[in-house]
Amino acid sequence: MSQLQTVEVGAKEIRLGLQNRVEVPAIKLGSRPWKGYEKILFRFVFIYFVIQAVPLDWKYYRDLLSLDWSPLSVVDFFYLARYTPRFFSEVPVFADWFAVGLIAAVGTFIWSVLDRSRREYDDLYYVLRVIVRYRLALALLAYGFIKFYPIQAPFPSISDLNTNYGDLTAWKIFSLSLGIVPGYQSFLGLVEIVAALLLLNRKTASIGAFIILPLTGNVFVSNLAYEGGEYVYSFLIITFALFLFAYDVKRIARLTSFERPTSPNTYRPSFKLPWQKYGRLVAKSLFLILFVFVLGLTARIGYKNAGLVYPSAPGLAGVEGIYNVELYRVNQQDIPPSETDPVRWRDVVFEKWNTISIRRNTKAQVLAAGTTELGKGEYEYSETAGREFYSYEFDTVNHVLTFKAHNTSQELPPLNYTQPDKNTITLSNGSTEILLRKIDKKYLLNEAAKSGRRRGLKL
Amino acid sequence: MSEITVKESKPWKSYQKILFRIAFIFFIAISIPNSVEWYKFVVNIDWTNLHYRDLYDIARFGSGLNIFGNSIFGSSLSGYANWVITLIAATIVGLIWTFIDSRRKNQPKEYNLLYYWLRVVVRYRAGIGIIGFGFTKLLPLQLPYPSLGILNTDFGDLTAQKIYWLQIGIVPWYEVFAGIVEVTAGALLFFRKTTLLGSVLLFGALADIVYVNFAYDGGVHVYSSYFVLLSGFLIIQYVPQLYQLLILEKRTLPNYYYPSLSKPWQKYSRIGLKTAVIGIFLVLFFYLQLVNFLYDPYKQPATKGVTALRGSYNVTEFKVNGKEIAYSPLDSVRWSEATFENWTTLTYKVNRAVPLDLSNGGGDPQRDINRTFELAGVGGGRRVFHYFADTTEHTLYLQDKYKEMADRRNVTAGAGGDGGAEQQRPKEKVDPKKTGGIYSDDWISRQALAHIGDENKMIDDRAASTRRDRDFASVKGYDKRNRMLLNYETADGRHVILKGLNEEQDSIYVVLDRVDRQYALSKSTLNAGKYE
Repeated sequence: MSQLQTVEVGAKEIRLGLQNRVEVPAIKLGSRPWKGYEKILFRFVFIYFVIQAVPLDWKYYRDLLSLDWSPLSVVDFFYLARYTPRFFSEVPVFADWFAVGLIAAVGTFIWSVLDRSRREYDDLYYVLRVIVRYRLALALLAYGFIKFYPIQAPFPSISDLNTNYGDLTAWKIFSLSLGIVPGYQSFLGLVEIVAALLLLNRKTASIGAFIILPLTGNVFVSNLAYEGGEYVYSFLIITFALFLFAYDVKRIARLTSFERPTSPNTYRPSFKLPWQKYGRLVAKSLFLILFVFVLGLTARIGYKNAGLVYPSAPGLAGVEGIYNVELYRVNQQDIPPSETDPVRWRDVVFEKWNTISIRRNTKAQVLAAGTTELGKGEYEYSETAGREFYSYEFDTVNHVLTFKAHNTSQELPPLNYTQPDKNTITLSNGSTEILLRKIDKKYLLNEAAKSGRRRGLKL
Repeated sequence: MSEITVKESKPWKSYQKILFRIAFIFFIAISIPNSVEWYKFVVNIDWTNLHYRDLYDIARFGSGLNIFGNSIFGSSLSGYANWVITLIAATIVGLIWTFIDSRRKNQPKEYNLLYYWLRVVVRYRAGIGIIGFGFTKLLPLQLPYPSLGILNTDFGDLTAQKIYWLQIGIVPWYEVFAGIVEVTAGALLFFRKTTLLGSVLLFGALADIVYVNFAYDGGVHVYSSYFVLLSGFLIIQYVPQLYQLLILEKRTLPNYYYPSLSKPWQKYSRIGLKTAVIGIFLVLFFYLQLVNFLYDPYKQPATKGVTALRGSYNVTEFKVNGKEIAYSPLDSVRWSEATFENWTTLTYKVNRAVPLDLSNGGGDPQRDINRTFELAGVGGGRRVFHYFADTTEHTLYLQDKYKEMADRRNVTAGAGGDGGAEQQRPKEKVDPKKTGGIYSDDWISRQALAHIGDENKMIDDRAASTRRDRDFASVKGYDKRNRMLLNYETADGRHVILKGLNEEQDSIYVVLDRVDRQYALSKSTLNAGKYE
């Protein structure tokens, strides 16, 4: 019996399908009255997502207005795009969601009392989807562009290359491991950008949201696994994507899994009045110009100029590299190389920028990072215990280096330096004399990339 | 279950029929094993005493047309030449098929039935294949947590491939998650209704892995692309429908075709086959992988090391032929930073260039000495030695885990499965320091051999298998390695004295002191193997 019926329905569908093909104006089937619980649920969801997605915080606008617009930087975009309502601390926590939920619950109650006669929220549902679509797109574009131009995870510094694997935290290893493959990073960024662009179109929004689910789902799980600090934010992004995907999920499942004839979405937003038409066009264009073209351009400039993750100030010219500590003399007393001596340096790295890092037998303090930060210069000395990092300033007239310690309590006094030849540096003050000789270090990472793994390599 | 068969089937357009014929030949060809070794292997499986790798090898085979070799104009096209050759052949056969059809009186109007069965073949091929891979992650074995020797190696002294593998290995729960995704994707392909979800999952996950393999030079790009290709093929059917529903926003009919399998023999063979696949590749496979994880993690040596000798050690004193050498990070003879792993491995660092093993350190070696993940892709002067321990005489018989000619791995995988090729035996160089003495065949006395015991039996009984027995019974291939013979003296393992002959047969005297090495990297919370 049921079989017969199904077949009949099928036949009707075919006719309907034909009609559609000759462009019969679509009937607005969606305007059915909503059920009571649907309306209540919607009110809650509406308030909840508006608060999560739209900056209602005055501090946000203060920051926005205090921006230095002249050299607009990708850093500004990045932080503005990472907005979330925060009630408890500087970093987003799940308790924030609870607070937002509480507000939404109260709001739902008031709204439900005031707005009893309402038949449906078709238009408002559309508006909410637009808000979430654009909020989500912005989040992805901000992270997408700093991957597409591989800023987020830069190539490991010389210090990182000369740090024991076990002296790096999981989060740092994750970042460094991505940093060695800029092409792959760009690819991940490109996928995020493409997903964001799909969100900007009503009909492709569900596809965009669907791409985001596994992509950001992976980011979320990675944050948990690698002890990163962005699991709340990445999970928020997932909830946005879930909300958007929910709109079409029933239809897609019905068609592809349960294999039944399926009706499409019938809601069409109407933009009839001129201000609506042009307003929509202007708003959309503005979004594209600002958050695709300008953001993309600033990311490109930021990548070219470097200095967004590592410090931007240059170091002493021509000294970049790793140095063996050939001589270490305190009060005219040689201290020989040792695997145990807590004071003697083992090796020293001069970065291209104004950082040196020293490997001793003692471990440095592990400073937590866990989140992507731009323009702060903390990345190199965070989440690592293998080397002690110092910023330095140099006086090329008097040949003096002055230091600022970062992940260590062992301060360095100002040191006089000489460069007897291009591979040698001496450092000294009254009591200490140190002779550094550059090591012609060949990294397996680079050598294997050059020669390939199929041929043997002696190193 | 398949009541809603659409009764009237539209005739296909002729270009659709031609494309289908080519696709049919192509996908059947790349879903069938192409190497004789695979068939020989499958016939010889001992189903009464299985090893997880038996099922893995069933699931992982090379395919496609390889009788014309695997290169085009001398180029392997990064390993994809086999696909191109198969496609060319499929096109030719497909066109011949079209020609023959055009001569027939009543040509078939459509290939719905054949398309259905082709999809079944591809679904099961892809499903079984990815499950074979997924389980080695679901129980985190494929990418192990770094050994002490690797933890003490600098980041820049690893290959890109190694860095990627380790990056997953340090977070075993993430690896489990990745394994669940792969196994789930595979399992979803066994059911028609979840095929789209399974293939989308597979497509997304494996497309990422393809890119990863190119970026990190992982070497498994062809095999991972294989799943992208298969899942892509499975997705194609849904694309027009989804386009119509979501983009054109029109009412859409699912016009998929199913044969009615209503006769009893059809019903029972369908249910029987499906149950067998699920029973073997989900249930039994999980059990075997679990046994491997608990007692015989395939990328780590399985035999437990000498209990007292574990951890990281400073090399406090080092003498060669009675002459002491002071510590210097640049010394080319003196050891530093030694480790004894939980298993039968000693590593140390020395500042001298040595030939490196740049493989993935995988495959299915049963002997501990051939399990090379701990040295593959690791540089920085770290030397890695396997030892047999005679705990009665306190003697270690050490052999370099690096050897000049690597063994073939994944033999049954054939071409397209990264099976690797037999390498040429290197020219024997006679080094007078490496003949006679500890380099003679009987360097381990009968008595010592008796003390050491049978390596095959050193793992838990539950992990015993015919595969392991056969490997230990087989004749060793080319196996010329550096050797050392060292006596160890220690009370509790904190302070160790090693005395004996190094690889050049010079006498050495080494004092090791254990360091309580604290790592910034969190410890693994999911440890493979049994070493206590």
